[in-house]
Amino acid sequence: MFAHLHVSSAYSLRYGTAFPRALVQRAAEHGMDILGLTDRDGLYGAVKHAQACLEAGISPVIGVNLACDSAARRITVLARADGWAALCRLVTAAHQAGDRGEPLVTRELVGRHADGLVVLLGPDSDVGLAAAERRDDQARSLLLAWRATVPHLAVELVDQYGYREAITASRMLALAETAGVPAVLTNAVRYLDPFDYQVGDVLDAARKLVPLHPRHLERSASHAYLKSHKEMAGVAARVCGGDARRAGRLLSATRDLAERCALDPLELLALRNDPPRLHLPEIGGDPVPMLRDRCADGLSRRGLERSTHARERLAAELAVIEKKQLSGYFVAVAGITDMIRGMGVRCSIRGSGAGSLVNYLIRIGEVNPLDHGLLMERFLSEGRVGLPDIDMDVESARRLDCYRAIYERYGESRVACVSMMETYRARSAIRDVGAAMGLPPHEIDVIAKAFPHIRAKQIRAALSDLPELRESGLNDRALETVFRLAEKLDGLPRHIALHPCGVLIGNAGLRDRTPVERSLLEFPMSQFDKDDVEEAGLLKLDVLGVRMQSSMAYTLGEIERVDGLAVRLDAVPHDDRATYDMICTGRTLGCFQIESPGQRELVAKLEPRTMHDLIVDISLFRPGPVNSDMITPFLESRHGWRPVTYPHDDMRPALAETNGVVIFHEQILRIVDVMTGCGLSKAEQIRRTLDTPEGRARVRVWWEVHVRAEYDRETVERAWQVLDAFGAFGFCKAHAAAFALPTYQSAWLKRHHTAAFFAGVLTHEPGMYPQRVILDEARQCGVSVLPLDVNRSGRQWLVERIGPRTEDLTQAPDLPGDPPADPSADLPADLPADLPADLSEGRETGGPARLRVRPADLVRQADPRLAELAELAELGRGYALRVPFSAVRGVSEAEVDRMVTGRPYTSLADFWDRARPSRPIAERIVQVGGLDALHGLSPGGPRWRPGELTRRDLVAQVGVLERASSSGVRGESVQLPLGFTEHIVPGELPEMTETEMVEAELAILDMDVSRHVVSFHDELLDAIGVVRSTELLAQRNGAEILVAGVKVATQTPAVKSGQRVIFTTLDDSTGPVDLTFFESVQGHCAATVFGSWLMVARGVVRRTGARAVSLRAVDCWNLVDLDAVWRAEGLPAVRALLDAAPARVTGVGGRRIEYANGFRLSPYADIGPAPGVRTPPRRLWHASPGSSGPGPTRRSA
Amino acid sequence: MSRLYGDPIEVWTRDGDPAQFVWRDRLYVVRQVLDHWVVAREWWKTSENDPGERRFWRLEASPDKQVGTYELRFDTAGGGWLLMRAWD
Repeated sequence: MFAHLHVSSAYSLRYGTAFPRALVQRAAEHGMDILGLTDRDGLYGAVKHAQACLEAGISPVIGVNLACDSAARRITVLARADGWAALCRLVTAAHQAGDRGEPLVTRELVGRHADGLVVLLGPDSDVGLAAAERRDDQARSLLLAWRATVPHLAVELVDQYGYREAITASRMLALAETAGVPAVLTNAVRYLDPFDYQVGDVLDAARKLVPLHPRHLERSASHAYLKSHKEMAGVAARVCGGDARRAGRLLSATRDLAERCALDPLELLALRNDPPRLHLPEIGGDPVPMLRDRCADGLSRRGLERSTHARERLAAELAVIEKKQLSGYFVAVAGITDMIRGMGVRCSIRGSGAGSLVNYLIRIGEVNPLDHGLLMERFLSEGRVGLPDIDMDVESARRLDCYRAIYERYGESRVACVSMMETYRARSAIRDVGAAMGLPPHEIDVIAKAFPHIRAKQIRAALSDLPELRESGLNDRALETVFRLAEKLDGLPRHIALHPCGVLIGNAGLRDRTPVERSLLEFPMSQFDKDDVEEAGLLKLDVLGVRMQSSMAYTLGEIERVDGLAVRLDAVPHDDRATYDMICTGRTLGCFQIESPGQRELVAKLEPRTMHDLIVDISLFRPGPVNSDMITPFLESRHGWRPVTYPHDDMRPALAETNGVVIFHEQILRIVDVMTGCGLSKAEQIRRTLDTPEGRARVRVWWEVHVRAEYDRETVERAWQVLDAFGAFGFCKAHAAAFALPTYQSAWLKRHHTAAFFAGVLTHEPGMYPQRVILDEARQCGVSVLPLDVNRSGRQWLVERIGPRTEDLTQAPDLPGDPPADPSADLPADLPADLPADLSEGRETGGPARLRVRPADLVRQADPRLAELAELAELGRGYALRVPFSAVRGVSEAEVDRMVTGRPYTSLADFWDRARPSRPIAERIVQVGGLDALHGLSPGGPRWRPGELTRRDLVAQVGVLERASSSGVRGESVQLPLGFTEHIVPGELPEMTETEMVEAELAILDMDVSRHVVSFHDELLDAIGVVRSTELLAQRNGAEILVAGVKVATQTPAVKSGQRVIFTTLDDSTGPVDLTFFESVQGHCAATVFGSWLMVARGVVRRTGARAVSLRAVDCWNLVDLDAVWRAEGLPAVRALLDAAPARVTGVGGRRIEYANGFRLSPYADIGPAPGVRTPPRRLWHASPGSSGPGPTRRSA
Repeated sequence: MSRLYGDPIEVWTRDGDPAQFVWRDRLYVVRQVLDHWVVAREWWKTSENDPGERRFWRLEASPDKQVGTYELRFDTAGGGWLLMRAWD
């Protein structure tokens, strides 16, 4: 039986098209008993191939196809039966020798690893290429050189019916025969089926970054599929010129080699051996007593040595750990966490590992599982095959420092990162196919971004299902081929990337078990993904960078710098009333985990008052619970609107903490254990089985057999309903407990150190919103925002004191009317227009009073909820945030360094000379006001001001300075007086208008600093009666109102009904407005929702809690369009547009994904942000040149 | 020197290889297949689903005593044969 020894799977990146499992299945159908896998450049598919072979009863052969001497020449190297370690080391060496991502070997390098390997020299090798060019002597001497270098060698003959291929193969056969080297036949397989060659052609073009053209393709290869024995016998006959005896010899030589290279799949699948062959870290000693000693120390250090409960739990955990030979792993991880903390990096355990007492005792984690009722079985259990995962959260900005420290400590050869395969999805497939078809790059970009984050194979379905795509004009016949091909790339691996957190910790033999390549950041990276790693018996630690940890670290630094307070965040009490008050108002923008529109609504309804409430809140806000509607019953029982019920009294202990509703995995475990007596380990196994519909069917049978006889039919059935519905969805309580702490800490910082908190959030961007939203939330909390200033700005967002602290002020009863207690001398001269109304009112330009409803007015209305909001508006008083240099678009780190170190500057020329920015950067800094203070500019107001310097004059001076320096005048110490070479008359150029300022800010900084963009439209919005965010609470339930604002977030998450629901948040300068678009209105709304940046929407008020208001949208418009109509045709025309009945358009299509338990999911539900316009347009409105925009002009008139 | 033709011809095959063909009213008997190869069409230029492939044979054939070398092409999509070149 023929055995294919040269097979490329989809793990030959952008080359192969079939997954190992499919290839193995086809080989089995052909009756083959051996199948090779020889992917290009790596062993990415080796473990999956071994798995598939094991299941199909086929012997795997594993090898690799590598570039040799140059990218154009390739050889194939197979591992002999004992050669897996040698193959791993060769692949690692090839990646060391070549450029990153382009491994390269030489004959000598292969020779050094050649024991245990067989080298195949095919048509692409130097020997094959010489033979193809009929240079037989050269081919012969090359072959002899190879034979002298490697002990096991074969000539590989390939004939895919291409031009002259059969002739070349015949020549190579003759060469092999005269040189006495065995010859084997392969088909250099790339495809499963002949017709897949079109996908292969597209991949060739995508890989080589060229358009599809015959000259760029690999040889025409519709015959490069997994041929049957009979077909290969035909090929053998062709190659041997019809000589049957020779053909027979060729086929049997191929068979011989295959048998010598056949591996035992268990060699790779170490975990499936009994006992598993684990690859354990070296810790320098016998790990068992070491771990026992550390645990005993831990008991006394944690004050638990007298607790029988703790001792029993420890004994049970150690028994499991020692039985699984994992003591060394725990000792190694504890060493690493000690080291990370020693580096001063914020670090906490996350996930199921928090459920283990051992982790607590040896200080891997700081959560005592006994306090929270967390179970170890969720983390590690006897019945579970597989390895435990310990997850650590560290500051994102220092994650790589942690990696480096781990490498230094263990040595490069004992550690490696885990990798992951990025696969083709709709957008990436469209990009690569579009490029291959020669579409212009900007068109490709527009097309790709029009799609939501869906699978590539959904592309054409989405085009007909989604209203915004139906109207996009993409449904064009010209693009049909692009989409058809893009769908074929669905799910194929595209490139390899560093897994965000996995680090392998092993011993000196690690590189015998996994091939390692270099990642983008030069860290050694295993070619195995996280599943492969576990199958291969390698132990890993997850070190995840969390931006909020960095953000909080930055905040603490700013508090210390500005206020001189050293806050110990971990010591802050967990019951601060003011913090929970703020959370309950839903004003949680910027806080960890609870800032999304849905979470803001949920916290306002749930009204958390304790850490446990936060744990529940976080667990509830998951696709599963939302999808299966666990939230409503929980809220009803929590607020006492309905009695708490239990399926049976025995379940009370497990469910009491959540009012009878199942929320946590731990509760599922307890219910199963209580009702069947199976033990928690078995219960965990059962819970995992509940993940799939088939699993649920199996568990159903198991449940009926094992449930205790004492329960009546109805109880058993009701308990089953609970397991069936929530078993797969619940959340691991240990995860939630780990999340709740930073959630609370971030909220505490927002409440008590508002400005510093926002400085951290703006600097490290931990959340989901664009920066301008965070900036506006800071303003809503009373923090001032100061423009870029070359003498005051820093590398990152800095906090500045501009007045007394709030807490000093809260004594004053009616504060907003009063002048600040200390209108202090160091108030900057350039107060922005949006300073609190009381500070800026006296200024000539006045600026629009941005707070439309004054806090004082609100308080007077004697509504406690509004009073709360008024209080929040005072949180950050007395502080300001300064726009940093790094916010300027396109600025380099080196420029920022020079700008910061060069401060202070005396003039633009001085800045140009010493900070040495590039010309565009210097111009941008001038345009957003970075030199206003230095040169006394005050833009806004009259455009023409003869004799007075303007920003445009300064931009012109940047040009003068550049010309002067490029003509070589810029010297070491020579500082040119301004105007030395060219003279700029101050006021020669017009000053920027307020509109132009904001446009410049949006274009350069991505945020509106001097004024809120919506303020330009106030007159129109007032005229059509738009309700503002602050006024929403006063609206009647069911009222239909107009709202408006900048679109700041759009999501289409999974919801219970299985609809694709669009959640959109608008920012209208007084706060967020949350809109929900159901499918019934998406027909006429979707294109506008996704396509506009400034929006007006009509919606029906939905009061969902004491402080929670959201709107069910009915219709929406692009505000920019309305504005154009208003200015061209007047208000009645706008009214007519708003009153027109929406056009009837078909809604959203697509079949719901139905789960067995009745829950449905839209195929377009998505966790990530939705597509569409997210950045401001270049011009804020359709204005004639020179117009200063609608708002201020009319106001001043 | 070969000459290019591209004439439609009629071909009889045996075991998938050409055995005889008629070109310009003369019957040619195939003596030996020298080479056979397959070229995929530039499928991306057409929008139909299977553009098919072109199969080429280079072979020795003789209308009489004289033996010449000819190149035949078969188009799988259209199902037609062409005589592409001749060395005779």
